[in-house]
Formats: sequence, C-alpha cells, structure tokens
Amino acid sequence: MIVADILTDLKSLIPEGQVKEEERQNHSLGNRGQVTVYPKSEAEIASILKYANENGKNISVMGGGTKRGYGGLVETADILLSLSDYKGIIEHTVGDMTLTVRPGTTFKEIQDYLAEHDQKVSLDPAWPEYATIGGIIAANESGPKRLGYGSARDVVIGMKVVYPNGTIIRTGAKVVKNVAGYDMNKLFIGSMGTLGVVSEVTVKLRPVPKHESLVLLSFPKGNMEEIRSFVIDLLDAPMEPTSLELLSPALSNRLINRAHYTLAISFEDVEKSVHYQENFINNSEHNAEVSILRQKETQAFWDEFYTIRPNGTELITNNETEAALKIGIVNLDVLKVIKEAHVLQDANNLVIQAHGGLGHGLCQVILKGASDDVVAAIKQLRYFVVQLGGYVTITHLPLSLRQQIDVWGEQPSYFFLLKQMKSKIDPNNVLNHKRFVGGI
Amino acid sequence: MAVKKVKTKDKHIKNLARIVESPRSILYHEEDLISYDCDGFTLHRHLPKAVVFPKDTEQVAKLVKYCDDNELPFLARGAGTGLSGGAVPLNGEVIISLVRMKRLLQVDLENRYAVVEPGFINLKLTNSISDKGYYYAPDPSSQSCCTIGGNVAENAGGAHCLKYGVTTNHILGLEVVLPNGEIIEIGKDGVPDRPGYDLLGILTGSEGTLGIVTKITVRILKTPEAKQTVLAYFDEVTDGSQAVSDIISKGIVPAALEMMDKTAIEAVESASFPVGHPRDIEALLLIEVDGISAGIGEQIEQIMEVCNNRNVREVKVAQDEEERGRWWANRKTGFGAMGTISPDYLVQDGVIPRSKLPEVLNRINQISDKYGLRIANIFHAGDGNLHPLVLFDARNPGETESALKAGTECLQVCADVGGSITGEHGVGIEKKEEMRFVFSDDEIMAQTDVREVFNQKSLLNAGKLFPTPGRCVEVKIETKEAASV
Ligand SMILES: Cc1cc2nc3c(=O)[nH]c(=O)nc-3n(C[C@H](O)[C@H](O)[C@H](O)COP(=O)(O)OP(=O)(O)OC[C@H]3O[C@@H](n4cnc5c(N)ncnc54)[C@H](O)[C@@H]3O)c2cc1C
Repeated sequence: MIVADILTDLKSLIPEGQVKEEERQNHSLGNRGQVTVYPKSEAEIASILKYANENGKNISVMGGGTKRGYGGLVETADILLSLSDYKGIIEHTVGDMTLTVRPGTTFKEIQDYLAEHDQKVSLDPAWPEYATIGGIIAANESGPKRLGYGSARDVVIGMKVVYPNGTIIRTGAKVVKNVAGYDMNKLFIGSMGTLGVVSEVTVKLRPVPKHESLVLLSFPKGNMEEIRSFVIDLLDAPMEPTSLELLSPALSNRLINRAHYTLAISFEDVEKSVHYQENFINNSEHNAEVSILRQKETQAFWDEFYTIRPNGTELITNNETEAALKIGIVNLDVLKVIKEAHVLQDANNLVIQAHGGLGHGLCQVILKGASDDVVAAIKQLRYFVVQLGGYVTITHLPLSLRQQIDVWGEQPSYFFLLKQMKSKIDPNNVLNHKRFVGGI
Repeated sequence: MAVKKVKTKDKHIKNLARIVESPRSILYHEEDLISYDCDGFTLHRHLPKAVVFPKDTEQVAKLVKYCDDNELPFLARGAGTGLSGGAVPLNGEVIISLVRMKRLLQVDLENRYAVVEPGFINLKLTNSISDKGYYYAPDPSSQSCCTIGGNVAENAGGAHCLKYGVTTNHILGLEVVLPNGEIIEIGKDGVPDRPGYDLLGILTGSEGTLGIVTKITVRILKTPEAKQTVLAYFDEVTDGSQAVSDIISKGIVPAALEMMDKTAIEAVESASFPVGHPRDIEALLLIEVDGISAGIGEQIEQIMEVCNNRNVREVKVAQDEEERGRWWANRKTGFGAMGTISPDYLVQDGVIPRSKLPEVLNRINQISDKYGLRIANIFHAGDGNLHPLVLFDARNPGETESALKAGTECLQVCADVGGSITGEHGVGIEKKEEMRFVFSDDEIMAQTDVREVFNQKSLLNAGKLFPTPGRCVEVKIETKEAASV
C-alpha cells in the first residue's frame, strides 16, 4: 500500500520509466529501497529529496553499488536513489587541468576519457569499472597511490550538493586554490551521503606520468625488522615513491604467486628519474626477491589489485562470509597491523588478505570464511589496532552482521559536533539514515 | 600575589589576569592596546578590551570559558600578519594571543609528522628539521613571522603550493578549544581519515570563527633531492602568461611558477633585495622544478624551450643556491617593496582559471586606467592566484576609496571568469561583502549553519567572513533598483 503510494507520488515528479518498484524483497547487504528512482537531472534529484523531506520518507543513495555493504543498519529505505543514470562529463578545461562531472560517472569512464589528453584524476579506488566518482568521494576512498597524490580531499575543488530540503548549493569553485568562506567541500567528502546528494564534482587533474614502474620486493624470511629497516632507509632517502604498500603473504600469493610479505613500490616520473630510483632499490641492502614491472605491465598488476575487495554489486552464492576493513594507524605501525592480520588468518581458520601504506597509514583487510570466525577476527584485529591508537571501520559486511558489530567502532569524543551537523542539515534524517558513525 | 599589580576597577580584567597567572600576561591600558587594534589589514581599526597571553591549552580553555560565561566577545591572534582583518577586534574583543604557546612539541621523522603549538613560527619548523633533510611545505611569503596557528586559520598558501598543496593538505590533527571552553582533539597522532565528518577540513580555513587551535599535527616532507630555478624575462605580458599555460600543458608540475609585471619589478628592484632585473621588460616568470636530480635537467630544457617559443628576451637558470636564494628573497618581499614606490598600497587576492590569465590581466589594466591608480601584479601564476596591488596615496582626498573600489572591481573580474575572491588571504572583514560575488544567499546560509554548530553564541570572532544581513538586504534593493532603471 505504502509502496504503491510512493510509486504514484514519484511518478508525478519524474518520468515513469525512471521509477521502479524493487522486485527482490531482500538483499543480504541491505541499503535497499522499496522503490528505486533513477534521476537524470539535478532538478529531479532536488524534487525527490524535497518530496521525501516533506512527506516523512527516507532515502538510501547509491552510485555504482560497490559499497552497498559499507555501513547502514536498515534493510530497506523507502526510496533508493540511484545515480547510475546521472552521468557524463560536464566540462573539461584541458589547459586549466580541471574536470567537472556528474556523480554517476564511473571512475574508469573518467580515466579513459582523460587518458586521451594525457591527464588523470590522481585517485586509485577499487573497482574502477563500477565505482562512481560520487560514491568514491562520499566514502572518501583511496588506494596505495595516496602516498604520492593524496586523497579525495586533496583532489576535489568544487561540488554541487542537493540538500535534503531540495536546495542546491555550490561548494568551492573551478579553481585550484580558494579560501572564500568555509571549505565546504570537506564536509561532504567522506560523509557517506548523510548530508546531501552530490550532483556535480569538479576535480583538479594531473598529467599522466611520462614513465611508470613498479618494484616488487618479496621478503622470504618474513622478518618484520628487516622490512622495517629497509623502509626507513627508503623513506629517509630522497626517493619519491608514489606507493609503498606492504602486501600480506596471502595477498602477495594471490597477486604475484609469492607467499611472502611483499612491498609494492611505484615510481612515476620522467624515465631517467624512474630508472634512477629503481637502481637505488637494486643497490640497497636487502635479502628480498625483486622484480620490476614497467609501463603497461604495471597497469596489469594494478588492474588486478583493484578487484581484490568484495564488490557490493555481486551477490555471494556460497555460504562464505566476506568482509573488508579500512584501518588507520600511525604510518609505520602498518607493519604490525599487516602482520597481525596474517597471524589471525590461521588462528581463525580464515583467508585474510591485507595491504597497507607505509607512507600514509591506511590498511585494507579482506576476510573470508565462516561468519562467526569473520566477526571474531574483526573484533580481535580491532582490539589490536585500537591499542596502537588507530581505528578499524568495516567497509563491507552483510547486513545481519553489521547489526551485530559496530561498523564504525568507538565514537569520537567530539561526536556531539557530528550529530549537530547532521541535525542542522538533515533534521528529518532523510538521507542514508543510520549509515554513518554513531547511527547518524 | 603578582596579580595585585593589575591596576583596574574592571572585574573582568582582574579575573582574566588571574587565569593567566601573571600581570605580565595581560595588557589592558589603552596605550598598550593600540598595537592590537588591527592586523596586516589596516583600514579597519578597533581597540580590544584586553590582550591575554596564555601559556597552555588549559589557560586558553579557562579564558574562553570565562568569556563565554560572561558574554565577553573574544578572538584568537597569532602574529597579526593576516591581510583580511581576521584578527581585528571589531567588537572590542578580548584578544587571546597565542604567541607564547610556541613550542615544537614533537618531531617524528620516521612517521613524517611534527606537533607544534599554535604560536610556533612557520619557518622555524623547516629550520628545525632541515639538517635532517626534511621540511614543512606551506611557505607563505610571511613565513619568517607568521604562526602555524594563523596558517591553519587562514589555510595559508605560498609559492610552492602549486606542487605540494596549501596548509589544509598538510594538517593531520588539531587540538581545539571550542567557543564554550571545551577541548577536543581531532586526528590524534596524525592517523588519517578517522571516521566522522571531516572537521579538520572545516576548521582549517575557518578564519578563527569556529574555535581556537591550541595544538597542530602537521605532515613533514623529505627535502627534494634537487631543485633548479629559472628566471625568464618577457617583453609582452601575454607571452609570459602563454608560457605559463604551455609549461603546464607539457605535463610538467613545477614546484613554483611565479609572475611579476613591470610595476612590481620596479618596486622589488628599488627595495632591499634587488637582483638586477631589467626595468624595461613587461613581465618575468620565476619557475622552480624540484624532485629527483636525474629527472630535472630534461624538464628545465623543456621550460627553456617553451619560453623561447614565446619570444622570451632572456631566460637563465640559477647557477647556485646563493643566486636562487636572492631571486626568491626578491620575490617573497614583493608586497613590502611596494612601499618604496608608493606611500600606500592595497593587496588583493583573487583566483582565476589559469587559462583566463591574459584576459584578466587586461581587465585589471583597464581598472587601473579607470581609477588613475597604478596596479602592480605579483602572483602565483601556476595556480591562477593573483595579487593585484593597488598603489595609492591616502593623503589625497578620495584616493583610499578609489583604491578600495579598484580592488573590489579586480575581484569582480575574478568572479566573472569563474574564479574566487580569495586564494589565500581569507575573507575577514575585507571581503565580507564580496562573498556575494561568488555565493548565493543559500550558499552563505549553508556556511553560517556550520558556524552555528560550533559557535552558537557568536562571541568568537563575530562579524567576519559573511556579509552582514542588513547590508545584504541593501545590496539586494540596490540591485533591484539598478535592474529596474
Ligand atoms: C608581507 C606578507 C606576505 C604574506 N604572504 C602570504 C602568502 O604568501 N600566503 C598566504 O597565505 N598568506 C600570506 N600573508 C598573510 C598572512 O601572513 C597569513 O594569513 C598567515 O597565515 C597569518 O598568520 P598569523 O599568525 O599572522 O595570524 P593572525 O593574523 O594573527 O590571525 C589571522 C586569523 O587567524 C585567526 N587565528 C590566529 N591564530 C589562531 C589560532 N591559534 N586558532 C584559531 N584562530 C587563529 C585570527 O583570529 C585571525 O582571524 C602575508 C602577509 C604579509 C604581511
């Protein structure tokens, strides 16, 4: 009955073909909607939000759906707002190296387009074929190359955001430097869609590096002290790696067939400089097995790398539970976290693949196995990380387990500010209700 | 006991003096307050009620709580070099000066971060770690005297921000005293992306209107292996601006790409750090490339080639660190140098998409002609951050007003081409009304909503950053009338 009403209401707001009743009654990852809408313009997004806000309805927002298992305590909202049909490039000013796109554009579509101009967005999220720029920004997703290029907050210079009451605001501008007013872009990056719907994104671009290589160093002894001292020497030398990612033995085995701790070190610069840095590593003291991938070969490695995480668009067919974690920690403690993840694998009879950036302090951990074991391992790892002063958020987990274990971990001491921010902007909890920290 | 020496009948001053525990930590006599009636923006002045110098976070929190409980307006102040009036006590504020909280608390080279108190001077950080091969990237021209607390408040930029980003890209954590005196810590130990809205990002650049920063964790970087600096002289401004675009289009990311025009050159050459630039050229570019030594030569060659293709008169590479240092000293003291060719000057700070440079410089010229005032341009060309310096003589009746109008028109031009009214100096008092050039009422309200989350009572640094509502109604009436004419 209610569903029928929503359907009728929405069809009066936007063309009928863009409104669909959800056929499936359950999704193991939750974050569903009774009705799905596919807006094709900013005005349509605004009218849907305004309708929900004024009629006590709530909305779950989705881009490509790769992060469907990331946060959220409800199986279904009234409306699922999919941005997958609101895509495309709005403006690319080649000389200014800025790009304005619609939120539903996939990362791959953007990079493919920019490659023709020898430019790129310097982020490296998982599942580029499916992940949309809007979702990447809302979840503040980054990859190993964050070391060299920073994260979404360093790349986004402007946005348009539709507020829950339908108001459209611009944040930032199409210029690379700007301090007019508060830096409102930051509010929405990483907000998990709980404050507004991003309807347009402007990013600054970088040139595609002239040359690229990836040095893979596998340490057969698995001696953490040895890896640590190698890394410290590298970081203290004037080298400029764009990634310095430690892979756990299980992950290294999956990617390059070597079941050892492996460092994936990228260099991106003019050719001479890249070679010079490769040589630096070759000539430095270590007992690691080294291989060097260059140009196209590196791309093949990374293409594979970006698909290791569970993808919320795929339905799991067997009884295994898959989970993914994002862990933040003081840079070099990444060594401890990756080791702990490795240890927990056997202790819990799980497959645990992990990697972490020694220059930026973020780790990703993927767990597979029986659900009890997965939950137990997450708890153990969280205990370990929190002791070290870090945090663990769960970036992928089936809904039923998300209701058992807090996705976001302990609330920060300043939680009241976050809560006030939410109630100021979205007082009726229209957007992604309970998707974020502390049930925001 | 020492507090007895505070000679005033004002109970608030006595109480504030008690909090800072020493009569030497508070100023309240008019003659002492005068030097605090403005910051680097001198056109608006107002005396504070008092200036207090806390020594630690706890004292800051107590001072703030006292002000909050007693409805006394207050604001934070660093070195007072701000150029938009952010530290001007418009409402007779109690100024909480952070200059005595100036310790370097921690340096962790392995994990690449440092923790400083807010009064720590920007350049001192680099000086403290450079012997070990590290530095702090944001380098405002005022870096030898401005504080990192002030940099956070203004989201300060600098010449090398083209490649390395501005202050916000280097802040990992903050301890903040909220306007009710509560202390919070965000981004502890520099751990990135802690769950929650990005309060670090909102606080950085909030111009001291959301809280008082009492501790800062910043990212430090490894000093690049090599640097090379190029100086190029052009007979036509357009050739210079085209060269800027060409360099970027080549896929080169220079560490810095600065431009000065003829008037600016005249000034820097008459000031304390002349380097012998020819006086008859129309524009110069100062370009720096840094990184791995093996890769730099090739980029420098490309840059020289670009300049040659754009009819450069002369282009040269700094031969040593000493020469490089002289070129930069000449550039970084550019604002102050205006004093040698004009009794007064007004610094503006607009941003434009780089490709609009020739068009905008032309329009600035027209503004200069219209008001009969010289405008020097000295700016971060690589990221389109212009600093038109309007030269005037305040002794001539009406000239100050003309200069202000000319400055505002420059900002309007920046806004018209899709840019911004400030790239690094902030809005403060100076550009409050100009916020309307770039933001709608809804957009301004979205920001004042954020302010209310932190600063409900508006005792902290009120009257800054946003257009006053009364004025905005007037502006609307004016534009309506204009439209109907
Ligand atoms: C010659 C000259 C050159 C300059 N060049 C540059 C440049 O290249 N790039 C650039 O970005 N700027 C430049 N500036 C502007 C200025 O130096 C910067 O804005 C600087 O960041 C201000 O720091 P300060 O310590 O002087 O802050 P102040 O002027 O004391 O304060 C500025 C604002 O910050 C607030 N504030 C200060 N400390 C705190 C704190 N601890 N917590 C909360 N709020 C606080 C104040 O309330 C005020 O609103 C220049 C200024 C001059 C005079």
